Amino acid sequence: MSGGIGISILGRSMVLIALAISVLGAFSGIAGGMKRSDKAWKWARICAYVAAAAMTIAIGLMEYALITNDFSVSYVAKVGSTTTPLWVTIVSLWSSLEGSILLWAFVLNGYIAAFAYFTKGKYVEHSSYALGASLSVAVFFSFLVAGVADPFIAMDPVPTDGPGPNPLLQNHILMVIHPPALYLGYVGMAVPFGMGVASLLAGKIGAAWSVALRRWILLPWGFLTVGIILGGWWSYEVLGWGGYWAWDPVENASFLPWLTATAFIHSALIMERKDGLKGWGIVLLLVTFLLTLLGTFMTRSGVFNSVHSFTQTPIGPVFLAFLGFCSFVSLVLLSTRMDVLGSKQKAVPVVSRDSMFLLNNLLFAAFTFTVLIGTVYPLVHEAMTEKKLSIGEPYFNELGIPLSIAIVFLMGVGPALPWGNIDRQDALKRLTIPVVGGVVAIVLALVFGATGFTPLISFAVCGFALMTTLRELIEPAAVRVERKAESWGKALWTAWSKTRRRTGGYVVHMGVIMVAVAVTGSGAFKDLSEVTLKEGQSVEIQEYQLTYTGKETVTESHRSSEIAKVSVLRSGREIGVLEPKLNNYFRMGSVIGTPAVHNFLDEDLYLNLVNMNEDGSVVGLQVITQPLVLWLWLGGAMMMVGTLISAWPSRKRKRLSSTTQQESA
Amino acid sequence: MNWKVMSVGLLFCVPLIFVLAKGFNYDPRALPEELTGEVAPDFSLNTLDGYPVSLKDLKGSIVVLNFWATWCVPCLQEHQELVAAAEEFKPKGVAFLGVLYGDTKAKAEVYLKKHGAAYPTLLDEAQRTNIDYGVAGVPETFVIGRDGKIVKKYTGPVTKMELEVLLNDLLSR
Repeated sequence: MSGGIGISILGRSMVLIALAISVLGAFSGIAGGMKRSDKAWKWARICAYVAAAAMTIAIGLMEYALITNDFSVSYVAKVGSTTTPLWVTIVSLWSSLEGSILLWAFVLNGYIAAFAYFTKGKYVEHSSYALGASLSVAVFFSFLVAGVADPFIAMDPVPTDGPGPNPLLQNHILMVIHPPALYLGYVGMAVPFGMGVASLLAGKIGAAWSVALRRWILLPWGFLTVGIILGGWWSYEVLGWGGYWAWDPVENASFLPWLTATAFIHSALIMERKDGLKGWGIVLLLVTFLLTLLGTFMTRSGVFNSVHSFTQTPIGPVFLAFLGFCSFVSLVLLSTRMDVLGSKQKAVPVVSRDSMFLLNNLLFAAFTFTVLIGTVYPLVHEAMTEKKLSIGEPYFNELGIPLSIAIVFLMGVGPALPWGNIDRQDALKRLTIPVVGGVVAIVLALVFGATGFTPLISFAVCGFALMTTLRELIEPAAVRVERKAESWGKALWTAWSKTRRRTGGYVVHMGVIMVAVAVTGSGAFKDLSEVTLKEGQSVEIQEYQLTYTGKETVTESHRSSEIAKVSVLRSGREIGVLEPKLNNYFRMGSVIGTPAVHNFLDEDLYLNLVNMNEDGSVVGLQVITQPLVLWLWLGGAMMMVGTLISAWPSRKRKRLSSTTQQESA
Repeated sequence: MNWKVMSVGLLFCVPLIFVLAKGFNYDPRALPEELTGEVAPDFSLNTLDGYPVSLKDLKGSIVVLNFWATWCVPCLQEHQELVAAAEEFKPKGVAFLGVLYGDTKAKAEVYLKKHGAAYPTLLDEAQRTNIDYGVAGVPETFVIGRDGKIVKKYTGPVTKMELEVLLNDLLSR
C-alpha cells in the first residue's frame, strides 16, 4: 500500500517536472528564434529531451501501477480490476479520460524530442521558434495531467478491487492499436503547428523549410489515416451493425483534421515548387491543429452525444479555453504576419497541374466545411432554441459522396497534366488511357452485377484515377528501359528509389483508390437477412450454406461467452466454422455481441448472434454479405506504406537541408 | 495588420467557441426534440405497390409515421408492436405509415411478406423525407396530430403500450 502512495507521489512529481521544464523550453525556444541565439535554442532542445524523459517515467509508473493492480492510484481504482487479463490491463491506460490524456502528453513530448533531435543545427531561422511553440502546447497538456485530469491521485481508503474498463474496449484486439494510432496522428499535428507558427514568426518559408513542413506532417497524417481506418475496422468487427462509418461526431472529429492535413500536403508542393500558396498553406497547418483540439474536445467534453463520449468532466471548459486561446494566437499571428510571407506564384493556366492543385485544395476545404457544419450545427441549434436536432447519414452522404468522387477524379486528372502551360492536344492525349480505364471499370462493374448511377460513376472515376496513377508509377521506369536498355526490375527499382517522395505519393493514391472502390462496393451492395436455426439445421443464403452445429460456453476471468458454431460452405466448398458470440461481462453486468466475419477477396460474410435459447438448441442469426470490404483495410495499409516510402529520411534530403543551412547561415 | 484575415477568422471562431461553451449547459440526451410542436414536413411518396400518398391528404387524422429498414435489428423488434397497434387503432381513424430508410423495395417486400404488414410502407428514393424529418438512424417514429403538427418523436423501438397511451389521449381530445 505504501508502494502505491509512492507511485502517486513519484508520478505526480514526474508530471510536474515535465510541466516546469516545458515552460522553460518554450521560453528558450521562442527567445532563441527571436534573438537567433544558438545557446537558447540548445536549451530548448535539452528541455525537450528532459520533459520527454519525465513523461516516459510517468507513463511507465502508471503502467506498473496498472499491472500490479495498485488500487491506491486513482486511475487504477477507476479502470483496473483483478479479474481482467494482462493485455486488457495494459491497454486500459487509454480506456478512460485521465489515462488517455497522460498518453497524449507522453506522445506529444516524444514527438517534440524527436523534432529537437532531427532538426539540430538545421533550418536555423525556424527550428528554435518551432520548438518553443510546440513546447507551449506541451505545457498545456502537462498542466492537464498535473491538474484536472490527474491520474495519480492517492486513494484513501484504498479499494480492494476496481470495475475494469468499459466492456466494449475489452472485446477486441484492435482496441490495442486503434486509439494509439489515432493519438499518434492527432498529437503529431502539434509539431507542424509549431512549425507553422515558426514560419509566421520568422516571416519566411524557403524551399527547404516547406520540404520539412511536408515531411513532419506526413507521419502524423499517416497515423491519422491508419487510426481512422482501424477505428472503422474496430467498429465493423466489434459493434455488430455490419458497417464501419456512421458520421458519428467523434468519427467526424478525426476526419476533419485529416481533410485539412491532406489539403496541406498538396499545397506544400505548390509552396516548394512555385513559391506560392504560402499564406494558405500556413492557414491549413494551423487549422489542422485547431481541429485536432476541437476533436479532442468533442470526445472528452460530454457536449456531443456519441458512442465515444466520455461522461461530462471538468476537462471540457479547460480544453475549450485552450482551443479559444490557440485560435486567438493563430489569428493574431496570421493577420499580422501572413502578408510578410509573400507568395510569388503567378496566375495559373486554367487547365494545368497547378490549377488542379488549387481545385484539390478547394474541394478539401469544401469537404471540411461540410463535415464541420454537419457536426456542429446540432449544437448551434441547441444553443439557439434549446431543442435537440440531429443530422444523420443522409446529409453527409448527399454532400460527401459527390465531393469524394470529384476528389478521386482530380487524382486522375492532376498528375496526367504537366506543370504550367500545356498544349491542349497533348493534354487530351495524356487523358486517353485514363478514360479507357474508366470505361473498362464501368464494364467490369456491370459484369459483376453493379447497378445504379452513383456507384457506376464512382467505379468509373476509380478506374480513371487508377490508370493515371499506374502510368505515373511505371512511366519513369519505361523511359529507362527504352533509353538505357535496363531490365524492368532494375529500371523500376532505380526510378522508384530516385524519386521516393513522388513514388510514395502515388502509392498513397493507389491506397485511396482501393478505399474508394471498397466504400462504393460495400456501401451500395450490402445484403442482409435473418434466420432462425435449430441445432443441426442448415440454410441456404445466396451461394452460402450455413449449418448451426452447436453452442459452446467459454468462461474467462472477466466474462463468459456463448458461442454459436456455424459451419459455412460457399458454392459447395468448405470455408470453415464461424463463431459469433454473446459476451457477458461480470463486472459491468452487460451483454455485448461479437460478430464473426470471414473475408473473401470479393466480399465479406458477416454473422451476428442475435439470440440463443436457454439450452442453445435454437439460435437467431443475422447474415450480412458485403462486397469488397477487405479492400478497405488493404487500401489503408497501402496508404501507410506509401506514407512511409515518402517520409523516410534520405541522404539526398540531408544534403539539401545542409546546403540551405549554408545558404541561410 | 491584415484586418480581412482577422475579421474572417473572428467571424468563424467566436461563434463556434460560444456555441461549444453553451453546450455545457445541456445534457444532449435530455433536450426535447426539435420537430415536436412543429408542422410535420409534407411529403408525396409512393407505396411499395405504387400508390401515391401525401401527408396533405391525411390532414385531419392522426398519423403514425415509422422510419425503418430491413437491415435494422431494433426495427424488427418493434415491428410486431407496430402491427398490433395499427390493427387496434386503424378502425379508430389513426393512419399508420412506414417510410423506408436506406433500403430497397425488393428487400422490403420480402421482409413484409415474412413478418406481416398492417399498413403501407412508402419509398423515399431521394431520401428527401428522411432528411426533412432529420432521421439520424432507424427506427424513428413520429406521431402527427390532427392539426398536422408533430406531437412526439420516438428514437429507437416503440412499444404498443407507449403508442396506446399517447393515441388514446389524442383521440379523446
